[in-house]
Amino acid sequence: MSAESDMEYSDNDGDDYDYYGGQDDCDMETVDRSKADPEHFIFSCLKVEEVEKLLNESIELLSNSLQITPSLAKVMLHAYEWNAEEIINKYKENANDVLVFSHVKPRVPSIQGNSSRTVCAVCANTPPIHKYSALACGHYFCNDCWAMHFEVQIKQGVSNTIQCMAQDCEVLAPEDFVLSHVTKPALRERYQQFMFKDHVKSHPQLRFCPGPNCQWIYQAWVRVGARRVECLGCETLTCFSCGAPHHAPTDCATIRRWLTKCADDSETANYISAHTKDCPKCQICIEKNGGCNHMQCGACRYDFCWVCLGDWKSHGSEYYECSRYKEDPNLANDNQHAQAREALKKYLHYYERWENHARSLKLEEQTLANLKSRINQKVMAGEGTWIDWQYLWDAARLLKRCRYTLQYTYPYAYYMEVGPRKELFEYQQAQLEAEIENLSWKVERAETTDRGDLENQMDIAEKRRTTLLKDFLEFNTNNASSSKV
Amino acid sequence: MANIAAKRIKREFKEVMKSEEVAGGAIKLELVNDSWTELKGQIAGPPDTPYEGGTFLLEIKVPETYPFNPPKIRFMTKIWHPNVSSVTGAICLDILKDQWAAALTLRTVLLSIQALLSAAEPNDPQDAVVAKQYRESPQLFNLTAKHWTNVYAGGPSSIFDFNQKVQLLIDMGIDEHQARVALSTYDWELERATEQLFS
Repeated sequence: MSAESDMEYSDNDGDDYDYYGGQDDCDMETVDRSKADPEHFIFSCLKVEEVEKLLNESIELLSNSLQITPSLAKVMLHAYEWNAEEIINKYKENANDVLVFSHVKPRVPSIQGNSSRTVCAVCANTPPIHKYSALACGHYFCNDCWAMHFEVQIKQGVSNTIQCMAQDCEVLAPEDFVLSHVTKPALRERYQQFMFKDHVKSHPQLRFCPGPNCQWIYQAWVRVGARRVECLGCETLTCFSCGAPHHAPTDCATIRRWLTKCADDSETANYISAHTKDCPKCQICIEKNGGCNHMQCGACRYDFCWVCLGDWKSHGSEYYECSRYKEDPNLANDNQHAQAREALKKYLHYYERWENHARSLKLEEQTLANLKSRINQKVMAGEGTWIDWQYLWDAARLLKRCRYTLQYTYPYAYYMEVGPRKELFEYQQAQLEAEIENLSWKVERAETTDRGDLENQMDIAEKRRTTLLKDFLEFNTNNASSSKV
Repeated sequence: MANIAAKRIKREFKEVMKSEEVAGGAIKLELVNDSWTELKGQIAGPPDTPYEGGTFLLEIKVPETYPFNPPKIRFMTKIWHPNVSSVTGAICLDILKDQWAAALTLRTVLLSIQALLSAAEPNDPQDAVVAKQYRESPQLFNLTAKHWTNVYAGGPSSIFDFNQKVQLLIDMGIDEHQARVALSTYDWELERATEQLFS
């Protein structure tokens, strides 16, 4: 069967190459899996402790090889997106540049003793000289002020990027400096939590699972194209590249556009254009609410014809000849309306289907739950074991997966340019949709459906899904333009 | 916290009072209440600007977390400037927001605001209408700013043409400030301003 699907897309320029090219792993088993599942993506799901360990390894590596404190290593890793090797190499070339870039040292070395250690410039108090401290920039302030500064910053959610208190000074306070001034345990804990979150967010190989209250963190090595990661804890499907819900075959930029479009009221303007016209006299916006074309403007009481926008008086009461309005000078104007109407129709077409599948997906979530309890009942009643009914469970899960992909084909189609490729896409989409509905029908009536029949249907649906993904899911941004605009 | 804030403000108040700028009349600072949480600032319009000769009052509110958070400052005197709202007096200045540093003082802030009057940042506008005029018709902007300085800040240049147009609208029953805003917004075109006021 895999040979068959290979045939289907081998004539399809270089796209198939991208799948395998995207995964630079020569492990045979991996290649096979990626053949079976075009969405296959190597990632791991890590616990907080595992990520801490991972981060600590980078920190240790850097602090050992450069002979610096772990706190400084953290500041530098944060600035260089956790690329320890890059830091080490650049540090060998020019240590000063690296320190300035990471805001460990000031751009211009300030003269030591620049700021006084008799009066604190912030609180105007005069503590003894040993109660002052400064960062590498040499701006001395009293310890109480540092403590207060850190407290205010931490309460505002700042952790890795707390700056020196001096004017125009960009030097950042490293962890050990902050913690040596902050004594409240709750605040110290908060600071470390924020630090950790910030580290994960700035790390190109890590991403928090966006599921509600979910503690898992994904790790992966590629951050381009629609990349499916599934959480071990909450089963949320996420795109590793952009953090949005997983969206194959649509790419990250397109799904962002689509979601924004659905969320904002960009279609309101099209609605106004499609369903309203401006009064030819006072320009107020009028919505037509009845069938009669004799309009009277509610604002200026002007009588006019909806079709040609001319004065109603000239229409007389005996004959009506607006049917020839196409030859009117209003043609261009009317064309605009027609275009807006067309655009609205197109958007609604895709949006309705997108919404409909989202709803079905939710309903099928219930089916899945019902199924589970029914299987449990059967098992309790001695009608076979879990293993006997496993196929039903698998069918429902497969249905969910197929429906999910189907939902995300609509934004893709919406932004596709008309042409043979779109025709092919919509053909495959229609095929997938038909098989999914068949499967859905059979899953809902699972107990009366023959097991072989159901498994056959599962196979067909999954085949359609992978075929579509194989042909249209692209990872290489350079080649993405070959299929999409 | 409030303790540090009060102490700092007291010291800064003294600092401003004996500074050369106060002696020269460029800036001034006044207390509003005994708790040191609210002050009144005053800056002189810088020379060679449309604000020259005017005196601008500022409302200064000191937060409890001062000086670790910036003071809240707005213009009480109405002013025509791209980085100041002509309606609320809110100021768009980096050191009053993310570039605030605890080591900054009221004196440096007042001087920065004064500097802002000499060198506007039209690409980072607080008032889009004013900023547009500043970019597109700088001469008209200058005259309008002078006119506002004259009317609201006691500046010396009274602009006859503008006064007349405002008076015309007042005679029609429009509130003086409203008339001035409409005229300034519509580049002193009487017809468009009237249209907007009566629509």
